[in-house]
Amino acid sequence: MTVAAGVGYALIGLGPALSIFVSVISKKPFLVLTVLSSTMFWLVSLILLSAAWRALLPIKSTAFWPYAVLILTSVVFQEGIRFVFWKLYKKLEEILDLFADRTSKRRLFLTDKLQIALAGGLGHGVAHAVFFCLSLLTPAFGRATYFVERCSHMPFSLISAINSLGFFMIHTSSMVIAFNGYAQKKKSDQIFVPVIHVIASIMTLINLAPGGCVIGIPLLCLSAAGTLLYCWMLCLHKTSLLTPLYSGLPVTVSFEISSRARLKLP
Amino acid sequence: MDQTLIPSSSSLSSPILETLGEEILRILYPVSFCMLLVVLLVSALSSPVTSSISFSSIASLAYSESSSDSFWSKLSGAFLNSLLFVVSITLLTFLLVLLFYFRCTPCLKSYMAFSSFIVLFFLGGETSLLLLSRFALPLDAFSFLLLLLNFSVIGILSISLAKVPILLTQGYLVVIGVFVAYWFTLLPEWTTWSLLISMALYDLAAVLLPVGPLRLLVEMAISRDEEIPALVYEARPVDPPPCFRRRLWRERRDSFSISDVSHRPVNPPQETRVEIRVQESGEGSARPELETPLMLSQNARRQEAMEGVEGIGLGISGAIKLGLGDFIFYSVLVGRAALYDFMTVYACYLAIVAGLGLTLLLLSFYRKALPALPVSIALGVLFYLLTRELLEAFVLQCSINLLMF
Repeated sequence: MTVAAGVGYALIGLGPALSIFVSVISKKPFLVLTVLSSTMFWLVSLILLSAAWRALLPIKSTAFWPYAVLILTSVVFQEGIRFVFWKLYKKLEEILDLFADRTSKRRLFLTDKLQIALAGGLGHGVAHAVFFCLSLLTPAFGRATYFVERCSHMPFSLISAINSLGFFMIHTSSMVIAFNGYAQKKKSDQIFVPVIHVIASIMTLINLAPGGCVIGIPLLCLSAAGTLLYCWMLCLHKTSLLTPLYSGLPVTVSFEISSRARLKLP
Repeated sequence: MDQTLIPSSSSLSSPILETLGEEILRILYPVSFCMLLVVLLVSALSSPVTSSISFSSIASLAYSESSSDSFWSKLSGAFLNSLLFVVSITLLTFLLVLLFYFRCTPCLKSYMAFSSFIVLFFLGGETSLLLLSRFALPLDAFSFLLLLLNFSVIGILSISLAKVPILLTQGYLVVIGVFVAYWFTLLPEWTTWSLLISMALYDLAAVLLPVGPLRLLVEMAISRDEEIPALVYEARPVDPPPCFRRRLWRERRDSFSISDVSHRPVNPPQETRVEIRVQESGEGSARPELETPLMLSQNARRQEAMEGVEGIGLGISGAIKLGLGDFIFYSVLVGRAALYDFMTVYACYLAIVAGLGLTLLLLSFYRKALPALPVSIALGVLFYLLTRELLEAFVLQCSINLLMF
């Protein structure tokens, strides 16, 4: 449906990712590298999953349970890998702190850690959005459009874009929540992330029923909004413990002022 | 919190996250941009009609592929092609080493200018003609010739002269890389892949073996404390330098044109900032047989008064230079992946970037000349195959059924 429609679908799926990237990530070079490494990590996880499932594809049956098994195994695997990702991040944090001490710069603040977690989640979301949605958009740049029988209300590209948008939000937020849960050893956060991932993925199974996407897609968007809200409350709670204002600049400013006063610098 | 007084250069609250990795990004953005342009060109200009353009060059001299051949004949033909190509590249690089040995720098510089003119005028002109005909844009022949001529001449000037805005030089280097890479993607498929693998192996051999031409070149340059005249993309240095460093930086750029007088100071004994350099000798012309690969080398230290920064590769500041051959072969890989599908493009892009990062890390560990092609090309080819065979089926299975996780 022409270049405009193709670009439109791409922006529906990846618009928030682009805006987060431009506003937060691109300001700090290290975060860009984190996003790239995280995307690479989750791409490798997708390739491993596809290698494991390759012999059994394509699934020819019309029953829903093979797909349920596929989704469940993939989600369980990814949640397991998330812990590995956390371990890698801890190692990186040690190296960064060591480096900061050696070059006499300040260590990682809480906001820095939150931003790295955000970058990690962004990589996860972008990996899924790019490979599940963006790479299939090439036909949408042409003159016609595609519809799926099971959901003939909307073009296929639009459904896939909204799907990937929902999951992008879920993945980005869950990484922040998960890192916080692992760092603070809070069980509620640690449980929340896999549960919401499983629930959201199972909900996409509703799309298998004819006309099911009318229920499935809004439910997915609701769960994405819920995860985003949870993440937002978490960040607000964490950063409001330090200053009465919200996170980011005030933390740095207050330290700067107090330190300069102590050292009597101008 | 740290209470000790810090030297005036770094403020107390400057966070580690702000500046770490900036040098890598300054080389990553142009590489990504070059790859993006090649992918766009390939997807805009590839169609069943244009594939009839037979790009005959030394890279397809031994065997011209056709899709009806059997698997083994394609494989052997592609292998022969790439062998021929690598042999010609080796001979040319040895010729380059010889010229450098006899301090024949005017020859090298004029060859560089000539080859960039050929690339910009002929390859660029043909690509522009293809674009004009594809998008049906109206332009008369005389204006086109005038614009193309001016474009090419400014390109030569911006690459050869030193007192040109760095953005212009960088832009023209990227454009040259884009044109050469696009024309490489017109080669037949098997030949392209075997060419990439052979060039990666050649790069490995030429830089690491004691008899390798690139290693000889680097050692000669280091021993003479000279710059190799080559087409090299130089990213801007990270910190805005004080007057002392700025002068040094400009002087070093001038030494590109004055080859006999070296402005670089002697290695100071204390630890100073290390300059990572990736160089390529002798750039390609319209004929890809004049392509020479690159190497990743670490060169002499700059005299600095600042505190020494050692440690992981991310902390090394100073301008990173990447040879144009890297740009070209990365873009060829991604462009060839684009001819299959966009999923392979994204996977290969991530693989190449990961390879580049790994190479820079290895460089900071080993601190000697390292080739930049092998790791990225190996990862790129691996991910292309994995994505094409494994990931695509999996993702399609999920997406067609509107499933996602």
